[in-house]
Amino acid sequence: MTKITYRNSSIAAIVLLFLLLSPLQNKIDLQRKQMGFEQRLLLMPGQITGSLILGGFKGLAADLLWLQVEELFHSGQSYKMLPILRSVTFLQPKFVTPWAVGGWHLSYNISVMVKDHPEQEKAWIQAGVDFLKEGISYNPERYDLYFELGWTFFNKVKNYAEAVKYLELACKFPRPDYIDDALAHAYEKNGQIDRAMETWKEIINSGNSFSPTAVRMLHNLKTYGSTIVPEKK
Amino acid sequence: MVKAIVIAKNTFQEALRMRSYQIILVFALLLLGSSQLFSFLTPVEQLKMIKDVSLSGIEFFSALMAILASMTALRSEFETNTISTLLSKPLKRSDFILGKFLGMALVTTLGVVIMSVVFIGLILFKQHSFEISLFSALFLIWAEMLVIIAITLAVAAFASTAFTLIFVFFLFLVGHLTSYGFSLSGEMKNPVLQVIIKFFYNIIPNFENFAIRDQVVVGGTIPITYLLKTFGYGIIYTAIALIVCLYFFRYREV
Repeated sequence: MTKITYRNSSIAAIVLLFLLLSPLQNKIDLQRKQMGFEQRLLLMPGQITGSLILGGFKGLAADLLWLQVEELFHSGQSYKMLPILRSVTFLQPKFVTPWAVGGWHLSYNISVMVKDHPEQEKAWIQAGVDFLKEGISYNPERYDLYFELGWTFFNKVKNYAEAVKYLELACKFPRPDYIDDALAHAYEKNGQIDRAMETWKEIINSGNSFSPTAVRMLHNLKTYGSTIVPEKK
Repeated sequence: MVKAIVIAKNTFQEALRMRSYQIILVFALLLLGSSQLFSFLTPVEQLKMIKDVSLSGIEFFSALMAILASMTALRSEFETNTISTLLSKPLKRSDFILGKFLGMALVTTLGVVIMSVVFIGLILFKQHSFEISLFSALFLIWAEMLVIIAITLAVAAFASTAFTLIFVFFLFLVGHLTSYGFSLSGEMKNPVLQVIIKFFYNIIPNFENFAIRDQVVVGGTIPITYLLKTFGYGIIYTAIALIVCLYFFRYREV
């Protein structure tokens, strides 16, 4: 084979292979989009995390940032945590822990710092709720953030209707035993006593680790009309 | 083909004896072990850290091994002039290149397997189970390394050692960023620029295709169709790079 013929055959083979590659890349891109692989680039120049991100090691960068969040919280610098939390969730939206912990920091720890200013306290609690809702949009197929949001509504916001809504959603997915117990309590607080009793009966029938608690709760509800035993005078 | 296998075997043995290969492997194993230092985190976070550090480490150090070993495998033959002796024998240049590629693929596979065994051991020690999806991540890392080996050989066939090293590392970095560039081009109003970006997006190897770490470390599953498509992409790109390598090597004076 002459040099020119070999060159032309090589070029033809390369062009043909690239023509095969292009539609395959399109199919891969489509499937990545369906699987939720978002193309997110967080530019943080001058830091190790920035270099890691550029090198394609987003997960590792998110972990390093997450370590910083832990350090800032334990050193009392709660406000500084916020942009870093945002970066972690931006880099790895499927990493549920930062959403859950972030929501907790906003609704509980930061709001308590401004408890003398009711408007600000309410705003921080709402910020936590919104943060958790955003986390749910990226992780709709897991119980975790539905439970966190439901619990925040139950325990902090005292909006039992919303608590029931999110705890019911949490119960649609594989979950630990305490979720059903939390839902039963939310039903009770929301005035849905029949649903509360039904849920505790289901817990008893399932024989899970909360069955003994459910037996007690059901007994208290039937006897005293509340799960809390009144104090003896 | 038999001659290619002989070259592959020889390349494999030489690469194993390379100090740089052994040192990189030791550092990789140290990094994998160092993920144990995060015991102050909750068990869930610690596991995620182990998976992130380990998979990133396996990919990075495998790439380093693949690039250095492949570059040395070819360049050393030119620099010591042993290639003249080899090619004076009845050995086709295509068999030589194929043998080098297979040898490098074997040595990189061995490195990936050793690191994977340590990684699997760490995970089993921590959580007493191992998700199948983590094997998918390891498989795609290995497929990515085949592409990197082929590209390194292609560049080493005509360029100097320094240029090969810088170029392939740069390509490794850019290959992880092309997806971002392409997604940004959707915002552009200039159709000519969009076409140019699309052209480069299809030419430059997209290493992000092989990056499924972020999904698997948080418990996601990867469909087999995705693995097959991405592996197919890797094989086609490897073939392109080897054709380029063969072209430059075929008429190179030795």
